[in-house]
Amino acid sequence: MHRLLAVLLLSAAAAPALAAAPDPATPAGLASLVRLIDDRQRNQGDWKALCYMEAKEKGKTDVVSELLVYRRDADDKQLFLFTKPKAEAGKGYLRIEKNLWMYDPSTGRWERRTERERIGGTDTRRGDLAESKLADEYDATYVGAAALGKYQAWHLSLRVKAGVDVAFPQLELWVDQATQNILKRQELALSGKLMRTAYYPKWKKVLSPSKGTDVWYPEEMRFFDEIEKGNQTLVLIKEIDLRPLEANLFTKAWLESRSR
Amino acid sequence: MRARLDATRVLLRIAFRNLVASRVRTVIIGLIVLVGALIVVVGSSMMESIDQGMRTSIQGSLGGQLQVYSSASEGQLELYGGIRGESLLEPIPDFARVKEVLGKVPNVKMIVPMGIDQALVATGNVFDVTLAKLREDVRQLQASPGDAEVRRGLEARKAHVQRLIALLAEELTQARVLVDPNGRDASLRKAQRADLDHAAVPAFWIEFDRDPLAGLEFLENKVTPLAMDSGFTFIRYVGTDVAAFMKAFELAEVAEGTAIPPGQRGILLGKQYAEEWLKLKNARRLDQIKDKRDRFHARIAKEEELQRWVKDTRSRAREILAQLDPLQAAEAERRLRPALEAPAGEELPALLARLFDLDDANFDRHYQVFYEQLAPMLRLYKISVGDVITIKAPGKTGAFNAVNVKVYGFIQYRGIEKSGIAGTTSVVDLQSFRDLYGYVTSDKAEELAKIRTQMGATQVSREEAEAALFGGEGPGRQVETTRAAAIDERQLLAGVGAKRKAAKAEETRAYTQEEIDHGVALNAAILLHDPGRIRESQAAVQAAADAAGLKLKVIDWEAASGMVGQFVLLLRGILIFAVIIFFGVALVIINNAMVMAALARVKEVGTMRAIGAQRRFVVGMLLVEIITVSVVFGLAGAALGGGVVAVIRATGGIPATSDLLFFLFSGPALLPRIGGTSVVASLVLVLGVAVASALYPAWIAMRVTPVEAMSTED
Repeated sequence: MHRLLAVLLLSAAAAPALAAAPDPATPAGLASLVRLIDDRQRNQGDWKALCYMEAKEKGKTDVVSELLVYRRDADDKQLFLFTKPKAEAGKGYLRIEKNLWMYDPSTGRWERRTERERIGGTDTRRGDLAESKLADEYDATYVGAAALGKYQAWHLSLRVKAGVDVAFPQLELWVDQATQNILKRQELALSGKLMRTAYYPKWKKVLSPSKGTDVWYPEEMRFFDEIEKGNQTLVLIKEIDLRPLEANLFTKAWLESRSR
Repeated sequence: MRARLDATRVLLRIAFRNLVASRVRTVIIGLIVLVGALIVVVGSSMMESIDQGMRTSIQGSLGGQLQVYSSASEGQLELYGGIRGESLLEPIPDFARVKEVLGKVPNVKMIVPMGIDQALVATGNVFDVTLAKLREDVRQLQASPGDAEVRRGLEARKAHVQRLIALLAEELTQARVLVDPNGRDASLRKAQRADLDHAAVPAFWIEFDRDPLAGLEFLENKVTPLAMDSGFTFIRYVGTDVAAFMKAFELAEVAEGTAIPPGQRGILLGKQYAEEWLKLKNARRLDQIKDKRDRFHARIAKEEELQRWVKDTRSRAREILAQLDPLQAAEAERRLRPALEAPAGEELPALLARLFDLDDANFDRHYQVFYEQLAPMLRLYKISVGDVITIKAPGKTGAFNAVNVKVYGFIQYRGIEKSGIAGTTSVVDLQSFRDLYGYVTSDKAEELAKIRTQMGATQVSREEAEAALFGGEGPGRQVETTRAAAIDERQLLAGVGAKRKAAKAEETRAYTQEEIDHGVALNAAILLHDPGRIRESQAAVQAAADAAGLKLKVIDWEAASGMVGQFVLLLRGILIFAVIIFFGVALVIINNAMVMAALARVKEVGTMRAIGAQRRFVVGMLLVEIITVSVVFGLAGAALGGGVVAVIRATGGIPATSDLLFFLFSGPALLPRIGGTSVVASLVLVLGVAVASALYPAWIAMRVTPVEAMSTED
């Protein structure tokens, strides 16, 4: 469950429409491409999305849920509200800065987790809850052009900068040349061991009335655990709603009121 | 016949003469036999007592005589947990069926359903707990603004929170001395400090009165995370039909509180678990020091461990300060000053430092002061009898499940109260276990499949991911334009409020026996009318389960005890190994001594052969010698062993110095009991070894001919 949330925190972000495509073969073009990718992981104002999450873990029953994700990056707040299955409906996860609050309507209790703890004993780490800062945290190099199925992609390799604490010190990215969207992301340990691979096969863009411009989001995200083979996660963003959210939405009182 | 008797008389006379003539040899062989018999008697008496103790502990706490679990299980049932945690058992879908089938097997007295697992209990740190209460106070005041009692409670709670903030500020100031002010996260630390200072000023609390919910959000999100204490603890529990459990396991007793009323949801916390994990650390340390001083006569001045505990109590006084609001703190000062003969005006931090400045001279007095004066004002356990706690665990559906259960009391097992092996396991009602376990019923599986279909989720394997996601015919089209939706969460969450109300009603209703029986269990304990017929009953239960197609595995209590049982096997193995080594060495020594004796008597044997003694007579002579020594000294050794066992018993037995030993001994000390079996076994063993070691010398003596004997020089 927490792993799934982290995935959403990291990736389910709207991104602005693109200007002219940068050329990663030049240092300036490469830097601007990485900044652009950061922008795509960064939110623009309020949004609400109806998502589907499915996680498979070896030896366990699949986790299947439908949930609403609310984001307001201006305040660094997020809310996850589960709507299906019935047993999960009304459960909520409220993130305010580095606090992750969990609410279960069947017990009426709140629980607080902090960034100091590994969440729920899962692989979710502090870095997973942070905003994407590729340009600040990594040095990028351009590896070359590569085909990924029928797509033409730029292959970028990123190494962590000295003194920066991140979950994965090495990243490999494949960026679609036509749309500049990430198609594939590999996360590696310091030793170079591949830990996790993510695919973003479908992106959607939607006109945001409040901003007067397109907002982009990955409709489908698939994560494969390369250590525990067989473990994988699927996230689908089915609908997004770009109307401004209620002012008091990111509060305990609001979440409690949903299941009263 | 008469000739044979005469021959026997002569043989005995010669044999005894030889024994007396070679006193040193006789004594050496005799001592070896004696020590051997002693080891076997004492060792086997202790092993028999450990076996008996373990049988009592396991059968009387969780095991019963037999256990059944699904034969489709990947792992083995281990009642007390294994190296890798709890057993991986497949569920028994309907316990009622098991009860019906196995209940008819002769000699089966009771069948108790079980599900053993671990769960998380959110106890919250002192900030979390106090702020949750403050939130409750705020809600109550909003519901009845004119209630003076509610307002007084709120004000006291606010004063407590302010005190916690002051203590935290002090703690952070001390911690700051240790860190580099310009190091990593310096700006973050400054911001945190500013938040804490903001909550400490009167203006914050004036604003709090105007908008308490906003004030609470600030405290919960900005201040509470600064407190380092953890707010979680793990709990090991057995979900069971509580009434049947208490009836079946004779050692189980409610140590504090009451039994869970029939059919109700509830939990009895393991007393030993509560002592170890839930008790205020200072109180726990005081108990431990007292136990070491009283039971083992340890002294603070001499024992390093006790000195460490004393130091620990001194450094943890803050936990007590944090529990008390200003009024309670003043009351504590008023009580402690005269009790500790402290000067007037000495404040609580100094008084606590005085209380926990422990040495052998003041320990008993300070222990009494703590429990009589201070403890009644403190929350001694993070969870108290009467509390409703939320326990949560990852269920079979993958999601975390949580239930609220009332703590009715603490449970312990008579005789093994101090053993953490049984005493850390709490007992929960079966319905709560089933909610936590989250068995995927066909309805649930159908619901999940429906969500999958509605959402259009497709399955892609790791190997085929790239081809499936990025391959195919035609040009790649990664981006589609769509329209923003209007998502209405009210519609999506319709009926959740009703679910909450239904859950609340479930918490308090009593379940019928039929409801308790029908449903999932992971294993079941079987108690027999006659435990002596365990093997026969095990086979009968297995046969009945197979005939009914229940797909169960039936094991005895020893196998079900897992690592604990293996430890006893290891002990037994070590004893047997030691005995084998000892008797191996004994065999060589006795053999050598007898060979020497045979060689020394070549002439005598030759002469006897010359005057008509048969070979059989010569062999008999040597065997009589060795058997006589073995019986005499073996009996003496067994008697001495009996004496050693009696002395051990008279001096209070071998003390159980660890959890495991407490459990194996089924009490605070091992009182070995000498059994007829161990005496007979020791005699048979020493006799066998002695005779075996005399066979080769007898063979040498038997081969001596009169001619050889006479031709031998001297």
